[in-house]
Parts: sequence; structure tokens; C-alpha cells
Amino acid sequence: MPPRYPLKAKGYKELTNVINKIKDNSMQWRYFKQKIFFGAVRISALIIVLTLGGIVFHIIFNGIGVISWDFITKYPTDSMTKGGIMPAIIGTLYLTVGAISVGLPLGIVSAIYLTEYARQGKIVRIIKVGINCLAGVPSVVFGLFGLGLFVVFLKFGSSILAGSLTLGFLILPTIIGAAEEALKSVPQTFREASLALGVSKWQTIFRIVLPNALPGIMTGSILGIGRAAGETAPIMFTAAAYFTSKLPGSIFDEVMALPYHIYVLATAGTNIEQTRPIQFGTALVLVALVLGIDLIAIVIRSYMRKQKRW
Amino acid sequence: MGVNAIINVNDVNFYYGNFKALTDIKMDFKKNLVTALIGPSGCGKSTLLRLLNRMNDLIDGTKVEGEILFAGQNIYAPDVDPVEIRKKIGMVFQKPNPFPKTIYNNISYGPKLMWNLSKSDIDDLVEQSLKQAVLWDEVKDILNKSAMNLSGGQQQRLCIARALAMKPDVLLMDEPTSALDPISTAKIEELIDDLKKNYTIIIVTHNMQQAARISDETAFFYIGKLIEYNKTGKIFTKPDVQHTEDYITGRFG
Repeated sequence: MPPRYPLKAKGYKELTNVINKIKDNSMQWRYFKQKIFFGAVRISALIIVLTLGGIVFHIIFNGIGVISWDFITKYPTDSMTKGGIMPAIIGTLYLTVGAISVGLPLGIVSAIYLTEYARQGKIVRIIKVGINCLAGVPSVVFGLFGLGLFVVFLKFGSSILAGSLTLGFLILPTIIGAAEEALKSVPQTFREASLALGVSKWQTIFRIVLPNALPGIMTGSILGIGRAAGETAPIMFTAAAYFTSKLPGSIFDEVMALPYHIYVLATAGTNIEQTRPIQFGTALVLVALVLGIDLIAIVIRSYMRKQKRW
Repeated sequence: MGVNAIINVNDVNFYYGNFKALTDIKMDFKKNLVTALIGPSGCGKSTLLRLLNRMNDLIDGTKVEGEILFAGQNIYAPDVDPVEIRKKIGMVFQKPNPFPKTIYNNISYGPKLMWNLSKSDIDDLVEQSLKQAVLWDEVKDILNKSAMNLSGGQQQRLCIARALAMKPDVLLMDEPTSALDPISTAKIEELIDDLKKNYTIIIVTHNMQQAARISDETAFFYIGKLIEYNKTGKIFTKPDVQHTEDYITGRFG
């Protein structure tokens, strides 16, 4: 009879024996497996940190040279090949604040409906699938949607308002998801305790559930803030200007924005190679801005967490 | 209907979805007495307790048949707001569940939302409620500290004080001492004895000795049915039903 497993050749048997021996000595085998597993986990974590570090280092290394007080407080000059990026910083701040003002209330209210009011069933499931799909929609599609609805149909024009609304809808799924998780993590016993006192459902949500969920909601919003500040495609058609010589006077004005400014300089500028340092400098400012906003949110969150403990 | 009954349960059936949790319950709870509901796990005693202040409304897919009269009014009538019922019929839960607020705010939370009170009125109410729950002396200097720092027994008395601050007529207690140590349990039992002067107390308990110690009347439930309901002394010495005796003497359950 021919051997059924050609692998079982010379050497294979010895190897099997060694493995079996280790397996017999089972504690040793288990420690060995544990070591391999821990090693893999450590390496994964390291890769993430290195990637982030690499990106940040690359941006800082290439961009720090152009950073100066003038760079962040002056208008661009000489067809944007020199000067500062102040209008883009201001524009991104406006758009981010605008997006949060749209996305946060809407997201929280939706999450309250989904977790506290809606009967858990088919409709809620469909809504949740819808929200997940919304999260997966490419950002350029949001941009086109914003262009069609806010800019053209509602006649807002390319403006802070249209851009904020578009970005607000873009970050809505993130905020709903985070708010839902945060609301669910508030112990059911708190709701029962409040309702049993003869406090109405709305008051219970407003006075007990929401305050205890806020730190969690903040965490989710941090992700939303980063995304709103960094996206280019959604504001391309709805808010961003190639160049403005003054700051916006109202929410119906166009603005410059950091991500769009980088995009413009890197692809359509008058002298792409020459403006490379400015591109990196702008990227550095954008990253610093997002991290700065995150930091503020984290500080507020940890302050609120200190107040609430259960 | 007894003359001094405050709650009348009339032929109540209760369902969780298709599961019938209570069958033809008929009983009157008398005013200013402590009534204990006993029976093995899953017998429906907690379900009945939560029916009395409409807490089961919070669970999807439940259905109530029959009527429960509180002071002569059917609390399951369509025009009745459960919020109004819960103001009159307070509840203390199995696990102490203070809000993550200060001790003071735990007590003042409900009254502030319900009545228009001045600061000094609220101060008085907080003090009075905490004194009623025999907690005042322990916490009067730390009213602005978080209630989460209190011990389990103190937290449970705080929850009782919180319920009392709403000036209810009836206090429902769902195994209020099962998560507490013996000393805290003794304090709560003493408190219950004290409170029955002013309140009607209905308590679910797994602890037979506790029922015997603190209650005036005892109702024994088994698989969703009320088996026997009588004076506590009678139930624990000479029950009419063999089933009750078997449970009380620990032959099953």
C-alpha cells in the first residue's frame, strides 16, 4: 500500500514526536502558546504606534520649517506660494464647530429615540442598518448630496452653512453610535429608581440618563470632530473656497479650509514643488488643530467622569 | 373588600408575552400594615409587587387583565397616568440604587421636580426624610458627598429616604435586605417596623424569618397563584394549606 500522506516522510516523524513531547508536558506547551500570542499582540500594538508616529514625524519634519507666527496669522500671498494660512485655519474652525452643532444634537436625539423610546423590533433594526450604511457612504457622495440639497436646491450657495450641514450629516453615524452605546451603558437601575419616584420618562432621560451618558457621548464626538475637520471631499462643493481675501462675514459666505488648501496646493497650485513646505506646514497645523480640539474634549470628559461615578 | 384596605387586587392575570406569570390573583392590602409576599423564585411575588406601581409597564410585551384598585381607583384604567400612581406608591429595590449624585441631591431630586419648593423647604424635607430613614445622624455632615461612598446598608436607607421624600401612601419593597449584611438588615427591619405607623408597606422577601419578624400579614405564592393569605402568626404556626407549611418548614423551595 502506498503511503497515504507523502508528508509523513523522514524527519516528519521526529518532529511529531517533539511536538507530542511538548504537548505531554502541557504547562510548558501552554506557556509557549501564551508567549507566541502575547508577542503577536505586542507587535500589532507596536505597528499601530509606529504608523501614527511615522505619519506625525513625517509631517513635523517636513512642515516645522515654515511654521511661524506669520504663517498662522497672515493671508496667503503671491498666488498662495508665500504668506500664511490664517483664513484656512479660521474656516476649518468654523466648519468643525458648525458640523458639531448640527451633528451632536441630531445624533443625541436620534440615539435617545433608538435606545429609550422606540420599541426594539423590526423598525429599529432597519433604522440601525440605515445608520450603518450611512457610515459607509463615501465622503464624496456626501459632498454631492450637500451640493444638490443645500447649495443648489435650498440656495444656500457654497457657504459655511451648507458645508456645516454636509459635514454634520457625515459625522452623524459616528455620533449616533457613540451616543447609543453611552446611553445603554447607563444602568437600568437608575431609570427604574427615577421612574419609581413618579418622575416622568422625559425628565428621567433628561436629568438622570443623559448626564450620566455625556462622557461617553463626548468620546464619540471626538472621533466626529477629527473627521469633520479633516475631510476634503464633502466641503469641496459645498463650502470651500480656492482663495478668499477676507474672512467670512456670515454663515452664507464661502471659506478656505485646511484640508482643501492642502489639496489645492498639492494638485492645482501654481507651483506644486515650490509650495511643498507650505503643504506640509498646513498639514501640521491641521493635525495640531484636530489634536488640540480632541485634547479639550478629553479634558472636559475626564472632568465630567470625575463628577459621575458608579 | 375590607374596610381599611388601601389596595384591592381583583382577579388579576398577568402575562410576559405568552407566559402567564400570575393567575387569578385576588387580595386586599390593608392600610398601615406590613404585608409580606413569600414564595419560591419565579412564583410571581415580585411581578405582583411591580404591578402595584405599574413598573411592569417598562417591559415590552406584557399584558394585565383584571383591575387593581388604589384608594378605590383602578390604576390600570386607560385615563390613569402611571407617573401619578408612582408618586403615591413608592418603591425600594433589591439592590441599593442611589443616583450618582450627592446624598442631598438624591433626596431632593424627586420633590424638586414635583413641587415648587423653596431652598429651606427642601432642606427641611431632606432632613426629615433622612431622619425617618434613621440615616440623618450618619450623614448630616456629608450631605454634599457622593451617595456612592456610603456603605450598602446606608445606601439602602438612603433609597428608602428618597422614596419617603415623595410623601407616598404605600411603600413597596422588593427584597430590600437581600444584598445587605445582618447588621444593616436589622436596621432596615427596625425601620420598617417604625414606618408602618405612617405608611402601608408591602415587602417581597425570600427570608422566612424576616417575614415572620416584621410582617402583620403574609401571602404565600406558588407558580403564579396565591396559595394562602392570612395573619402572619397564623401562616407561620397553623397554615390552612399543606403546601404553605411545606414551604415554610423548608421542605421545598
